[in-house]
Amino acid sequence: MSATTMAGPRLAAHHSDALAGARAMLPWLAGVTPFGLVIGVSAAQADISTFAGWLTGPLIVAGSAQIATIELLHAGAAPLVIVVSALIINLRLVLYSAAMAGYWRRRSRAWRMFAGYLLIDPSFAVGIARYEQPGDRRRADAYYVGGAVLLYATWFAAIAAGALLGAQLPSVLRLELVIPLFLVGEVVPRLRERATRRAALTAAAVAVPATAVPLHLGLIIAIVAGLGAGLTRAEGKR
Amino acid sequence: MSVWLVIGLIGLGSYLFRISMVLLIDRFELPDRMRTASAFVAPAAFAALAVSGLATQVGGAEALEALPVLGALAAALAAVYVTGKSYLALLVGMPVLWALTAVMAA
Repeated sequence: MSATTMAGPRLAAHHSDALAGARAMLPWLAGVTPFGLVIGVSAAQADISTFAGWLTGPLIVAGSAQIATIELLHAGAAPLVIVVSALIINLRLVLYSAAMAGYWRRRSRAWRMFAGYLLIDPSFAVGIARYEQPGDRRRADAYYVGGAVLLYATWFAAIAAGALLGAQLPSVLRLELVIPLFLVGEVVPRLRERATRRAALTAAAVAVPATAVPLHLGLIIAIVAGLGAGLTRAEGKR
Repeated sequence: MSVWLVIGLIGLGSYLFRISMVLLIDRFELPDRMRTASAFVAPAAFAALAVSGLATQVGGAEALEALPVLGALAAALAAVYVTGKSYLALLVGMPVLWALTAVMAA
């Protein structure tokens, strides 16, 4: 069979994997969309141009860092403080990058630079869950990109809609709890393995008091504590 | 420094974070320790994100106000633990949240 005739089924498989990734992203969109709307509204109300506020979406692509940037710009904080604060909040992206590196090492540099741009909490969560399954890595790549592209398109649209339409969120639905509950569902099945359980439970235990740490640093502290606990357990087993 | 420059620098820094380890893996092998640790990033990050999100909802709230969130969490945990199916966290947790919120408001 020629390469041309092989390409059709492969392309169709990648297409269906991308759609599956987009479907897996849907629960995240229920929580992410209101967040994007809120950022759009805050951008419209801040003392910066609405377009500059919206531009935080495609450039920064991280809600907490975007909120901090818009609020600090609005408050007239020193530029260096704003840049450092936002980058500290986004430090976790290095950890996500490290986790994805092994899965992407056989792809071209250009592809990795594109896929790296799409890396953020929801795309990491959806992607890593698929990469951890055995099978063709290229199909997992399509799954990751499918989910991430839908996420980013929704994110940019939600910020624009928020900036244009204002805050009319259906608060009675309490959609802000969709993401925490979704994450609970992702964590619980992983607790069967001891080192993973120790990592997750330590991160959870540290995350509670760490919410009081300013600049959203608590999240980084909790993740690092979880990594340390999991690593200690894994190395102790050897 | 202009608003545009600030946003541009944060965007550039965030992008460099995103591609840092993904590109550096060409130059050196990830140390074993880091490779082992990276396996724990997902569960640790998920747990921390979930708990900090829930803590934000119940932190400083009256016990009765926190009850729907805690009830939804308990229901989600139980559903996933018993069945092993991740999606039940939302399918069970959100209705429990809405029901308890309605009961508390009544």
